[in-house]
Amino acid sequence: MSKTDTRDGTEQELTTTGETSEEVREAWTEYEFAGDAKLAAEALDVYYGGEQALQSVSLEIPDESVTALIGPSGCGKSTFLRCLNRMNDRINSARVEGSVTLDGEEIYSDGVNLVELRKRVGMVFQEPNPFPKSIADNISYGPRKHGDLDTGLLARLLGRDDTEAERELVERALRRAALWEEVNDRLDDNALGLSGGQQQRLCIARCLAVDPDVILMDEPASALDPIATAKIEDLIEELAEEYAVVVVTHNMQQAARISDQTAVFLTGGQLVEYGETDQIFEHPQSQRVEDYITGKFG
Amino acid sequence: MSNVERNRLAGADSTVGDLVSTGILGVAVLTFLASWVLLLQWADETATVAGLSVLKLLGVGLVVVGGGLAGLGVGSRLDYVDTAPSSTAGVTVGVVFGLLWAIVGGLAATLVLGNDAALWLPVAALVGIGGFLVSVVPREDVGSTLPVAGILLLLGGFVAVGGINAGWTWSPAWSSAEFPGSELVPILVVFGTLLGAWSAGKAKAGFGAEGRQTGAYYLVGSVVFGMLGVLALLLAFIVTNGLETMLTGASLTGGRLAVPFVGVQLPWIEFPFLLNQTGGLYVEVPGVLPAVVGTLWLVFGAITFAVPLGIGAAVFLTEYAERGRFTQVVEIATNGLWSTPSIVFGLFGLAFLVPRISGGNSIVVGQLVLGFMLLPLVLITSREAILAVPDAHRDASAALGVTKWQTIRSVVLPAAMPGTITGVILGVGRIAGETAPLLLVFGGAPYPSNFPNVLGSFQLSAQPPFVTNEALLSPASALPYQLYSTITAGVFPKEIFSNTEFGWGTALVLLLVVVGLYAVGVGSRLYFRRKLHE
Repeated sequence: MSKTDTRDGTEQELTTTGETSEEVREAWTEYEFAGDAKLAAEALDVYYGGEQALQSVSLEIPDESVTALIGPSGCGKSTFLRCLNRMNDRINSARVEGSVTLDGEEIYSDGVNLVELRKRVGMVFQEPNPFPKSIADNISYGPRKHGDLDTGLLARLLGRDDTEAERELVERALRRAALWEEVNDRLDDNALGLSGGQQQRLCIARCLAVDPDVILMDEPASALDPIATAKIEDLIEELAEEYAVVVVTHNMQQAARISDQTAVFLTGGQLVEYGETDQIFEHPQSQRVEDYITGKFG
Repeated sequence: MSNVERNRLAGADSTVGDLVSTGILGVAVLTFLASWVLLLQWADETATVAGLSVLKLLGVGLVVVGGGLAGLGVGSRLDYVDTAPSSTAGVTVGVVFGLLWAIVGGLAATLVLGNDAALWLPVAALVGIGGFLVSVVPREDVGSTLPVAGILLLLGGFVAVGGINAGWTWSPAWSSAEFPGSELVPILVVFGTLLGAWSAGKAKAGFGAEGRQTGAYYLVGSVVFGMLGVLALLLAFIVTNGLETMLTGASLTGGRLAVPFVGVQLPWIEFPFLLNQTGGLYVEVPGVLPAVVGTLWLVFGAITFAVPLGIGAAVFLTEYAERGRFTQVVEIATNGLWSTPSIVFGLFGLAFLVPRISGGNSIVVGQLVLGFMLLPLVLITSREAILAVPDAHRDASAALGVTKWQTIRSVVLPAAMPGTITGVILGVGRIAGETAPLLLVFGGAPYPSNFPNVLGSFQLSAQPPFVTNEALLSPASALPYQLYSTITAGVFPKEIFSNTEFGWGTALVLLLVVVGLYAVGVGSRLYFRRKLHE
């Protein structure tokens, strides 16, 4: 593949293999920030059966900030996100090579406890997916299953009743997700009766109740109306004060509004450019990223 | 676009056609209902209304419907009535009418020319072809009204002039049954009015696509009512035959309820047929208590055996096993097991379970055999219900760091519960009325003098299995078994009932027990569904 400088505005050449002639350059993806990386991916390859979905992606994600992953459909951004809490393990045909570290600890080594990993790396999905249970039960579901809360009959008989602790935890999580004011009078109602935006904030609250370090969000607002989207965006910015938030979005304005740094994935599962959000959107280094952001492609 | 025919969006003056077709529909519905009244024998077929016997009146109804239809069809063809018909009624309609007319022609020919195939066969074929052509060749408004009108006018006219009357019987050569006119006429009229309603429904909507849709609506709707009618007939028949037996000696206050520890007796419900033993010296009104208790124990045991196994297998197949050849084989095997005839299960129980467990007919073997029969249905339905739980729930739970088994227990199974219970309800309906395997592995004396006292028979023993239960290992009676042995026994030992009377009473109680089990199942399904949605 010949190396051509495409930044002077010349047309990109397509080689016979259908790939663009531009190479992914180290310099465009090296993003310096203060402090240690919360999550770091190193040479991450993902295959679905015979198809490669991620090509050697290396990315360091800082703590207490919002990292946006953008790119066209099928570019691997959701795949990358699902590598960070090993949700790809749930897909039989998926194979992951490379390394991801959380606070310097490898999460793809054999002895990793998935329960502990996912307690520390929470996830919010595209479609709001509350359980068909009451609002309070949705929040306390995780802690109960982890044994942090015990309100069963045996616990009550033994005098270790956590009912009060559970009430506090539910309130704290709902307040944190900016939902408390709207639902505090109907905590025992079924969560499926909430609106789509409320359900999504409930899912965020449910994730917070487990007290994670990192929150992964897979297009959290794409199924919502503009007002609910605005609420979710405000919430994401607030959460970034305490957590490392990684957001996949295909909405570039949203990425520009809420994120501190942005990673651009393009077709073929390549991480093309990673840097401060302002810089990515105003002075992208790569021609392909500029084309994508200005709408010429994708 | 010149070959596309366009009709106006709204008919300018369709009130006349609408009124006439509504009137025809009304007459058809009334005649239809009247025929059912006669068929169910709620009215006497020799009764007269306004000087005409009811049978003739049915004929008159058909004539009115037929005449009206003919008028509608011709009026529409001559543009007196505003309609939007297609160019033809279609080949399907043509074939149906061709067959109907062939039957009419054949019958008429045998009446006039005698029962000689060489004579009536050509006539039937010719008339049939004529009916086909009349339906297919002219425009839809004529093609779908005139053939119907002709049949209705012929049939109705024949009945109205007394061609078939109440005393007339038809005894066909191929059957030993006799069809009296009092049954034949209402049956023919029911079909005739269905045809008429279909045709009038088409005319009411102005033929064309709208007309076909309306005609289909009336036809399908009346089929539903027909089905409900059959169900109602069945239920009414059982209730009328069994009610008197079931209520023998029953009263609200005739019984005595002894209050424990106080020594006072209060008036209480008396219901000997339900609460008495079947046999025994001092039993005045033999009852079905042993059979009711036996049936309840059977159903309870089968559920206890089959539901945990079935749900467990369903969980393994859907959540743990990878979908592939193995799950396919299991699926085929369960479907096959579900369609295995029950007598085969019974034979298996007799040959395999009886010698190993009780050495003779017993409750516990009956429970196991019925459990085997229930198992595949529980497996199939709970598998479907588990597959229907959205994967989003499983993903959400996994992302919270909750293990697979905990997810299954607290999210998947509660969401699948209503569907599973539906399966159990269906299965219980089947096994509660099952007779064949019980004959082989379960049934004991035909007139038991005490009910199986399972709860009171548990005893501790010094040897394994440390708990024994004599009642579970003994034969007993169940309602369907009781019904069968009563009907086939010949003579009922007590004079108060004949064995048919006792059988009808048993059948009614069986029906009530099954309905009661349904009610329990539906109630628990509602409970679990409410837990999911409120």
